[in-house]
Amino acid sequence: MSNDPIISVQGVSKRFCRSLKRTMLYGVTDVARDLCGVSQQWIGLRPDEFWALDDVSFDVQRGECLGLIGPNGAGKSTLLKLLNGITLPDRGMIKISGRVGALLELGAGLHPLLSGRENIRINGVLRGLSETEIDARYDKIIEFADLGDFIDGPVKHYSSGMYVRLGFAIAVHINPDIFLVDEALAVGDALFQARCFAKLRELKANGTTIIFVTHSLDLVSAHCSRALLLDKAKVVTQGASKDVVDHFNCLLRMKGAPPTLGKPAGFEASADSNQPHQTAWARLFRTNPGAHRYGSRRSEIIETGIFSTGGLAVQVLERNAEYLIRVKIRHNENMPSAIVSFVIKDPQGTVLCGTNTLFQNASMGHKRAGDVDVVTFRQRIRLNPGEYLLSVGSQELAPDGYVVHDLQMDQLAFQVVGQELRHGIFDPEATVTWEVLC
Amino acid sequence: MEQTIRSSTLSDPVGRPVESSPVEIEYSPAGVKRNGANGWSLMVKEIADNRRLIWLLIRRDISVRYRQSILGYVWAVLPPLLTVATFAFLNASRVIPIGNTRIPYVAFALWGLSVWQLFAGCLSACTASLVASGALVTKVNFPRETLVIAALGQPVFDFCVRLLPVIAVFVWYGVMPHWGVVFVPLLLLIVTLLALGFGFVLSIANLVFRDTSNALGMALTVGMFLTPVLYPAPVRWPFFLVNVLNPLSPFVTATQDLIAIGYISRPEMLVAACLFSFALAFGGWHAFHVTIPRVAGYA
Repeated sequence: MSNDPIISVQGVSKRFCRSLKRTMLYGVTDVARDLCGVSQQWIGLRPDEFWALDDVSFDVQRGECLGLIGPNGAGKSTLLKLLNGITLPDRGMIKISGRVGALLELGAGLHPLLSGRENIRINGVLRGLSETEIDARYDKIIEFADLGDFIDGPVKHYSSGMYVRLGFAIAVHINPDIFLVDEALAVGDALFQARCFAKLRELKANGTTIIFVTHSLDLVSAHCSRALLLDKAKVVTQGASKDVVDHFNCLLRMKGAPPTLGKPAGFEASADSNQPHQTAWARLFRTNPGAHRYGSRRSEIIETGIFSTGGLAVQVLERNAEYLIRVKIRHNENMPSAIVSFVIKDPQGTVLCGTNTLFQNASMGHKRAGDVDVVTFRQRIRLNPGEYLLSVGSQELAPDGYVVHDLQMDQLAFQVVGQELRHGIFDPEATVTWEVLC
Repeated sequence: MEQTIRSSTLSDPVGRPVESSPVEIEYSPAGVKRNGANGWSLMVKEIADNRRLIWLLIRRDISVRYRQSILGYVWAVLPPLLTVATFAFLNASRVIPIGNTRIPYVAFALWGLSVWQLFAGCLSACTASLVASGALVTKVNFPRETLVIAALGQPVFDFCVRLLPVIAVFVWYGVMPHWGVVFVPLLLLIVTLLALGFGFVLSIANLVFRDTSNALGMALTVGMFLTPVLYPAPVRWPFFLVNVLNPLSPFVTATQDLIAIGYISRPEMLVAACLFSFALAFGGWHAFHVTIPRVAGYA
C-alpha cells in the first residue's frame, strides 16, 4: 500500500474552448451526454477547441515535493484543477489516495462581509475540517495570519496582503495528505513569504506530499525533490528537479525558434549567418518591441543577440559562464572611427555595467558606406540570478565631438540563473580563508 | 476531495464516528468515484457528511444579509405588504374585480403572496447560488450541492419573518384558521423541495448561460399572476388551466383550503403535484451531481 503512488495520473487530457459562445454550446451537449450516460472518451477536438493537457501521465510518491514548471499557458493550473477534482479529465484517469488540500487562489471563498474570525470557521469547514478540528487549530491560524485587530473586522476592509495572509493561513492548517499550491506564494511581503516556506518545509517534514506550480526556478531547485516540465499541454520531461530545471532553461533558449527540441545546430548556423543583411537573429530572442531608439542612423544596428561560446542563441544565462554579446551593424556612410557599446540594466533602470569598443581599445578601423560588421563582446557573466536588460549603441568620436548614430535602449531581456546564493547584483567572487588564532 | 474525509481520530460535535479508512478517489471522464462509492450512495454520503457546512452557510447568509443596511428585515416585509395594499385598493375600487374570497381579501392575498414568495425566493436563490459564489466554485473543491441547498435558508427565514404581518392581519380581521392549518408546514416543506428541484437544474443552466437568471426573473413576474395567489383558483375554462399546468397552484390552493375550510378541495391535484415535486427534486439532484464537474469551470 505504502509503495503505491499517492497520486497516479494516466493519460490525462483536457479540452478547452477559445470561444465563449461555443463554450456554451459544447457545455450543453456535454451535459446532455452526461445525463444520457454517453461516454465522452472518443470525442476529439471540435472547432475552436484545443488541448489544455494532452496525454499527461506521471506518479507522485508519498512525501514527495513535486515542482510543476513550464511557460505560461503550458497547462500547469489546469493540471492542478484536475488533481483537485474541480473539473474532470476528458480522457484518462487520475487516482488519488489521500485527503487533498489546495490553494489554487489565495483567499478563495473568503466572504467580504464576514469578519476574519467568522471566515476562518466557514472556510475551514468548506475545506473539509470538522468544527472540533477548527477549534484545535483556531489560535494557530490567527497567529500565523498575524492580522492584529483586523481579524475582527470585515474582510472587505483588508488590504490585498492581509487577504492573502488569511487565505494561506487557513489553507495551510488543514493538514492535508496532499497539498496543491498554485503560484500563490508570489504575493505577500518578504517576511510572510519566508514564513510560508518555513511552513511548507514543516509540512514536507511531516510527510505531506506537495505539488507546487511556480515560475521561479530557484524555488523548484531549493524545495522540490522532483519536477515535471509541461510545455504546450504535454509533459516534456520529469525527474530530478535540477535536470528538469536545466531542461526548462534549454527550452526557454529555443523560444520563438522552430519547435523541435534538441537541434541546436540550426541556430548555430543562423548565428554565423552568411547573409548578414537578413534579420536572422530576431526570431531567436525575446526582444523589446517598444524599445526606445534614437540617433542619426548614419550607422545602424541591425540586430543584437547573446550567444553561448558554442554559438547557440541564449536568453537564460548561467552565472559565471562566458557568453558572446553580438551586435550586427551596418554603416550607411564612411565612418573613420565607429564605436559600438553595450550597457546592462536591471528592470528598474539602474545601469549595472557596460563598455564600448573605444574603452576596450578595439578600433574597428575605417569603415566605408555599406559595410556590415558583427562586433562580439566576449563576457563572463558575473551578475547574480535575476532579470536584466541589454541596451546597445553605435556612436562615433568625430572631430566635432561625440555623435550618437543609433542607440537602442533595453533592446533585449535576459535572465541569469545559478544555484549558489549571493547578496546583491554581483558575485563578489570572494576567496575565503580561515586562520585559527588560538 | 478533502471535505468528507477525516483521517484523524477526532470526532465531530454531533458525535458522528469519524472516517479513518484511507481515502481513494478516482477522477475519470465517467465521473468521480470515492472509496468505491459513486452515484446515489456518494451523493447521499456527501450531503450527510456536509450537513454542518450547509448549516454554517445558511447562518452566514442570514447573518450577512442585512449587515450593511439600516432597515434590515423591514425589507423582507415591506414589498408584499405594498403589493397586497395595491391589490386591495384595485379590488375595492373595482378596477380589477377579484370576486369573493372565503376569508377577507387582505388576509387571503397576503397569505397567498407569502407562499408565492417562499417559492420564488427559494427558486431565485438556488439558481443564483453557484454563480454568486464564483471563486468558491472554481477554486475550492467541496460538494456544490451544499451551496444550492443552503440557498434555501434565506428565503425560508424571510418567510418566517413575513409570518408576523400575516398573523397580525389575521388577528386584525378576526380570522380564526381552521385546525387543518397544522398540515400547512408539511405542504410548505414540499414547496421548498419543488423549488430546490427546479433550483438544481436552473443553477447548472445559469452556469452555462447567464440568460437563465434574466429569464427566471421574467418567468417569476408572470408566474405570480398565473398562480392563484392574489385571486381565488379559477373554475372556468380556459383559466382553469392555471390550476392544472402550474405545479405550484395545488399547493397554494391547498394551504388556502386548509386555513379556510380545513380540508383539501382537490386532493388528486395535490398528490400529483407532490409526486412531481419529489421526482423533480431527486431527478434534479442527480442531474446536478452528474454535470457539476463538467461545468464548474463556467462559474
